[in-house]
This record gives sequence, structure tokens and C-alpha cells, in this order.
Amino acid sequence: MKKRTTSVSPPGADHKSFWFRFSRQLDLQLMVIPAMALILIFSYLPMYGVLMAFQDYDIFQGFLHSPWVGLKHFKMFFEAPEFWTVMRNTFVISALRLLIGFPAPILLALILNEISHLRFKRIIQTVSYLPHFLSWVIVSGFVASMLATDNGSINMLLQRLHLVNEPVNFLSIPEYFWAILIGTGVWKEIGFSAIVYLAAIAGINPEIYEAASIDGASRLKKIWYITLPGITGVITIFIILAVGDILSAGFEDILLLAKNPVLQDVSDVIDTYVYRVGIRNSLFSYAAAVGLFKSVISVVLLTAANMMARKLGRSLW
Amino acid sequence: MSAKKTSALLLVCMLGMSMMLAACSGSSGTDAAKPEGKDTAQADPSKPFVLGETPLTFSFYGNYDWYTMNPWGQDPATKWIQDNMKVNVQAIQSGGAALQKFNTMIASGQLPDVIWGDRGTDVEKLRKAGKLVALDPYLEKYPNLKKWAGEKTLNMLRSEDGKLYQFPNWYTKNPMGNGGYAINNKIYKELGSPKLETFDDLYAYLKLVKEKYPEVVPFEVGLQGQGIDFLYAGMAEDRNVGQVSLRVVPDGNELKSLFSDPVYRESMIFANTLFREKLITQDAITQTRDQVKEKVNNGRVAIYGDFDTTVLGTEANSMLRAKDPEGGYTMIWPLHKDGVDPKKVWVNEFDSLGWNVSAITTSAKNPEGIFAYLDWLTGEEGERVIFWGPEGMYWQGTNDKGAPVYTDKYKNEVEERSKLMAIWDTFQWAGNTAFIDGSKAENEMNLPEDKRDWATVSQTGIAWKTSFDATEFGNIQPLPDSDEGMILQRVSDIADKVRAKALFAKDEQEVISLLDKAEQDAQKAGYEKLLKFETAKWQENLKKIKGN
Repeated sequence: MKKRTTSVSPPGADHKSFWFRFSRQLDLQLMVIPAMALILIFSYLPMYGVLMAFQDYDIFQGFLHSPWVGLKHFKMFFEAPEFWTVMRNTFVISALRLLIGFPAPILLALILNEISHLRFKRIIQTVSYLPHFLSWVIVSGFVASMLATDNGSINMLLQRLHLVNEPVNFLSIPEYFWAILIGTGVWKEIGFSAIVYLAAIAGINPEIYEAASIDGASRLKKIWYITLPGITGVITIFIILAVGDILSAGFEDILLLAKNPVLQDVSDVIDTYVYRVGIRNSLFSYAAAVGLFKSVISVVLLTAANMMARKLGRSLW
Repeated sequence: MSAKKTSALLLVCMLGMSMMLAACSGSSGTDAAKPEGKDTAQADPSKPFVLGETPLTFSFYGNYDWYTMNPWGQDPATKWIQDNMKVNVQAIQSGGAALQKFNTMIASGQLPDVIWGDRGTDVEKLRKAGKLVALDPYLEKYPNLKKWAGEKTLNMLRSEDGKLYQFPNWYTKNPMGNGGYAINNKIYKELGSPKLETFDDLYAYLKLVKEKYPEVVPFEVGLQGQGIDFLYAGMAEDRNVGQVSLRVVPDGNELKSLFSDPVYRESMIFANTLFREKLITQDAITQTRDQVKEKVNNGRVAIYGDFDTTVLGTEANSMLRAKDPEGGYTMIWPLHKDGVDPKKVWVNEFDSLGWNVSAITTSAKNPEGIFAYLDWLTGEEGERVIFWGPEGMYWQGTNDKGAPVYTDKYKNEVEERSKLMAIWDTFQWAGNTAFIDGSKAENEMNLPEDKRDWATVSQTGIAWKTSFDATEFGNIQPLPDSDEGMILQRVSDIADKVRAKALFAKDEQEVISLLDKAEQDAQKAGYEKLLKFETAKWQENLKKIKGN
């Protein structure tokens, strides 16, 4: 940020008044206005709706005429028998995503970067980011039919290889669910997420590599001492954002993959719970309360992550 | 740029922003609070509204994700209605997101003139908020609904305040349904056509299939394992599949817990045995409709049973028959435990209220006109036009019962006709089951036996005879935003979970302990209170039915 403002305003302008600086970059400020308006209208204005969480919202009465009930809906959520299951699943699934889903694209980017055959590299890249453009409905359809016991290709393969005698009912065994969910997620997003890291790697000065080669650094050493440090900035930013998102354990993917009620004990997360209990039954206040709870925790986590990062000198703000 | 100029510019920008904001907050504020202008029903007590004299236009919303109304007046039937009845309907589509659309319309105060959807929650919500027009003043003035639906059905449709707000669709006095067991003829014959009546026969037969045809699914239970509920229906007399989905067991004057019911327990143990021995589809709970279809259509199942047997079975039957005239499927009488009277096994249920309803909202300018149209639609003439098209195409003249007499075009133009009939089906909002089914049967009788429709044969021969009249259990469930509604949500979750878990249990003992646990959890969630609530509603229904 600092770099940009100094390049626009002349040196020595910093001590001048706000209005003076503002007028010097009026053209730039005008360009920001549409974006600000967009955020204001679609992100800030509707926020009054979170107050619904403290009401018994009646869709006919509207926001202004619904009775206020304080923390009733929060209490309902905390006392719900599903509460602990939902929280546990949310944290576990998110943690797994952070642990496995987060480093995976970095790894892919590092590997891709080492490929010198350009055509081959491009093909790999294209193939790996294509699944990103498929919707979860389609992907879950693939997964369900591949993992089916009856005529499912995975089971057929395992049986041909004599690894199993009886087909395994993958989508009905709670122990397998997290692996399937995370695995599918990685497969779908790995290529697309790797693009950012590849771009960051491309920004590293090639002379550093040359110098390292002259010093006799091996490939792995170069990755470890040049490439990785070169992209830590990007990685930190994404990690902070991912931590802030830790309560968003996923929605569509879980909803579509965990069709078997047997899986509910391991698959029910905050978002699916809000959808099933709140939205589907038109319990808007309850849904808003749970949603607000989630947002508050997310903000706390995001701030904490940022503070940690600031200590390391790479904070988001 | 001078400072003055700059600040002026800034002021303009800020003004513009605040105006935008004001416009937004203004509209969202009034949206919610806007009182609905009550269009008083211009019910001129003397003259009924005559269709065709005064033009009538109304907006219509179908409250289903899957429903899209075809454009009005673009096909022969609605063109005919437009020309002769001067009726125009403007469609409001759900766009695949009915729940959102419905809530948005309420929140913005812009309701359509007619809402067509399921009975229960949504209709009650609208009624309680005073957004629906009572239909009682029109009942006497227009003949058809009263005549065909009958007083008993209308009473059941009435809301708490004693008034009628819902115009029923596909109401009936006769049993109906699509569910049942169908056997794969080829496999059955090759295995020597053993007796298939009791659950013991079923078990032995499935074992035999598993042994002789390892590639075939012995018992395909369809989507969400619907066929598993058939086992409950056959385990004792007068049990029906609907009780499983309502999660209640009637006992005397009371509704009791499903989980502690010995019959339900026995059926789950049996289901567990079949599942454990791989005699039931292992994908029972997770499979999609396409997966079921693929298996049934290719004849890879020995017995197929779910709530849609006559629907999926018809296509599968004709596909298999095309390959092998001896193949295909045959519907058989529902299986049952030894000693249970087969005449008291119910694998289908129907209620006289039919499928869904149309409700006229207070936004309608001419509610009486709309009622007049729906009443005409549910009468003989309206039903003939909307189901078979205008006279002269697929039918010409009627017999003495009002049934249309099919033309040769009807028999020869199968493809084109099926397409048109599917289009007309989207305009069928006041289906008159008795008239349509009666007319179909009249015409079907004239066909030679092998030309008759597989679905019709299966339905009239078996499915309809094994359909339980569940009218008394209609609308007994609480509204979702009530205390009981919250309990219902919990109990439903518990029930879905235990049903699936019981299939995967490793032995009988585990099934029992799972059900014990479910009973405990349900009681903790308030099952008893829910059952009391539902019992009261059920008893009210019984009174309404017996009162007439």
C-alpha cells in the first residue's frame, strides 16, 4: 500500500492535509467509488438483518414488527443435542482441509515449476485445474457412482486386483467419510489453487537461481532456500484467510456426498445444520443466530491469525 | 484543481451515494412493513361469474423447484381456453428455487393471485397472516367442486377457523398409488417359478437368486430404500408405509412411538438380515434415481419394489419385452409374514384430499373469477380439454358417462400425443381423479389385453387394491416454527439415522440396541409431547370425517 501511495503523491506530501492528498489523487479515488458502493450496498447494508437473530422473525410482520427475544435462539443452539457433534465435525473437517487441502496446491506448484518440458507442464496444468469448473452436483454424481458397491468402478478395480473380496460400501461407512470428502476436495481444487503459487514463483528473480547453481546448490536446496521463501508472503496471506474461514467446513460438497443418514454423526457441520434445521423449516431467526455465532468466531480467529503473522512481520493489515 | 471545485465534486459524489442508500433502505423498510391492500371479493351474491363473457387474467405461481408452467396459449388446449373462455394466466416461475422465491414474495408483499403447492405449512402460514381468500361463498354458486370432491373431503380441507382456503388437485374417493413388488419374469421362470407369498418365500427366493445369479441384485429397494418400508407393512395387519414416514403407530385412540413398536422392530431385524446377507441393494440408502433406473431397465434385479414401481416399471418392462417377449416385469401381491391376512397388507396409501392445492391470495383482483375457472377446470368439460386437448384432436364426442371417445389419431400419434399431454399436465391444477381414471378405464376396456398399458394393469389389478386410506392422518404434523415442529425435526433426524444404521448393524442384538438408543434420544427430544400433539390432530380429523 505504502509503495503505491508514494508513487502517486509527490515526495513530501505526507505531512499535507488529508484533503490535499485526496485532491491530488481524485481520479484514483473516483475509480474506487463503484467498488465501495458495491460493498456498501451488498455487504454492509444487509447487515441489519443479523439483528433478526435476536428476534422471533415473522416473515409477514417483517423486520420492524417482529418481537425481540434477546438471546433465545443462541441458547437454543447451544443447548441443542446436535451442538457438540456439529462443532466437532466443523473443526475436524476444517482442520483436515487446512492440513491437507492447503499445502497440496503449493506442493503441486513446486513440482510443476521443476518441469522443464513446457508442453507437458501445460497439459498437466490444464488437466489439473479443469475439475474446478465442474459444479459439486456433477462431481458428487461422479463420486457416488465410482464408489458405488454395485457396479462402482473403484470396487470393480479393487476386486480385480484381489485387494477386497466383497465390494466396500464406501459412502456408508462413517470412518471413510472425511477421507473421501477431503480427497474429492483436493482433486477438484488443487490445480486452480496452484495457479496463484505458480504466479508467485514466476515472480522470483531467475538470477538468484543462477547464483545458487554457481554455488553448487542442488534442486531440492534451491526449492527450499529460494522458491519457498520467495512465496511465503502469498502463503501467509492465504493461511490467514484460511484460518478465518475455519468454521466454513464446506456446504455443497458435504450436503451432496453425505446422503446416507448414517454419516450424519461425522458430516453435520454448521452450514449443513443451518440449512437443514433453519432454512428448510423457515426458522430464519434461528438460522441467523447460528450464522452470526459462526461469523463472530471467524472474525476472532482471523484477527488472532493476523496478530500471529504480524509478529512474524507478514500481517494482512 | 481548486479546493472549492474539489469539495463540490466530493459533495456531489456523497449526495449520490446517500441517495442510493436512501433508496435501498427505503424500499427494504417498506417491503417488510407494507400492509396488504385487501381486495374485497366482489362477490355479487346474485350472479355467478360467467367465463367467456368477461375476460379473466390472473397470475399463477407453482411452489415447486421442478415445476415450470408452459407458456399460456401456445398449445391447442390453452389456446382453446383463451379463445373460448377468455382466460389468460401469467406464469410466475420458481426458477428451480421455490423456497427462496416463495419467501421473497411474502417478504416483499407481492403475492401472486394463485399459489399452487403442497397442503399444510405454507398454506397455513399464509392463512394465519390473512393473505388468503376464503372460498366458501363461491361453493354454492359453482357446481363442480362440491359435486366431485364431496362434503367430507372439503371438510378435511377446511382450516381451523372453519373456512375453506384450498382448492384440491387430484382429490379422489378411490384408492390410488404406484408402489408394490414387481418380479423379473425371466429370472423367476428360470428359477422354476417358486411360490412367492410370505416373507419366508421371499427370503428363500432371494437366496436362490444370489446363488444362481451373482451379478443380479436380488431385491432392489429403490430410492432411499423405500422398499424396506414394505417389510413393515407386511409384518402385521393394517400397518401401512405412511406410518413409517410419519413416525407414529396408531394404537387404539393414541399414536405411539415407532421405535419401541414390536412390529417395526421385527421389520428392521428382517431388513437387517436381508441387507447383511447382501440380498438387498447395498447402495440402498445412497443411490440416485438414475442408478436404480439403470439396474431395473437392464433387468439386473430379481425383485423390484418401491413407491414408484408402476412408473419405473412401465419403461423397464417395455425395454425388456422388446428384447425378449418372455421378459419384463410382473407386479405381484405384496408379500407378508406367515399368518398375516394378505388383504390387510398396505404398501400404498392415498388420501381423499389428493395431491396438492391451489390457494387464491388477497392480491387477486377477481377471486371469484379465479374460483369460477378452477371449478370449470375440475368439471367434465375442463378436465377433458386440459387432459386430452380440445375436442376434434384426440377425441370426438363423449359416451354416456362423459368419457371422451378416442379418435384414431389418439392411437396412432403416440409420440406427439405424449409430448402434448406432458405439456397439458403443467396446467392441471384441479385434477379430478374419479373422472379421469374412470374415463381412462372406459377406453382401456375397449383395448385387447396385450395392448393395455402395463401401469394401468398393475394399478387396477394390485397397487390400488393395496392402498390404505390415510385421509385421517392428513396434516397431523406441527408447523416447523413451533416447539413441536422443532421436536419433529429432531425425531425425523433420529429416525432417518436409526433406519440406516439398523441396516448396517452386525447382528440382531445391535439392531435392538440401536432402536433402544433411538427411543431414548427421541424421548429426550420431546417425542411424547409431539405424539400428544399429533394424536389430538388425528382425533380432530376423525371427528371431521365421521361428522358427515
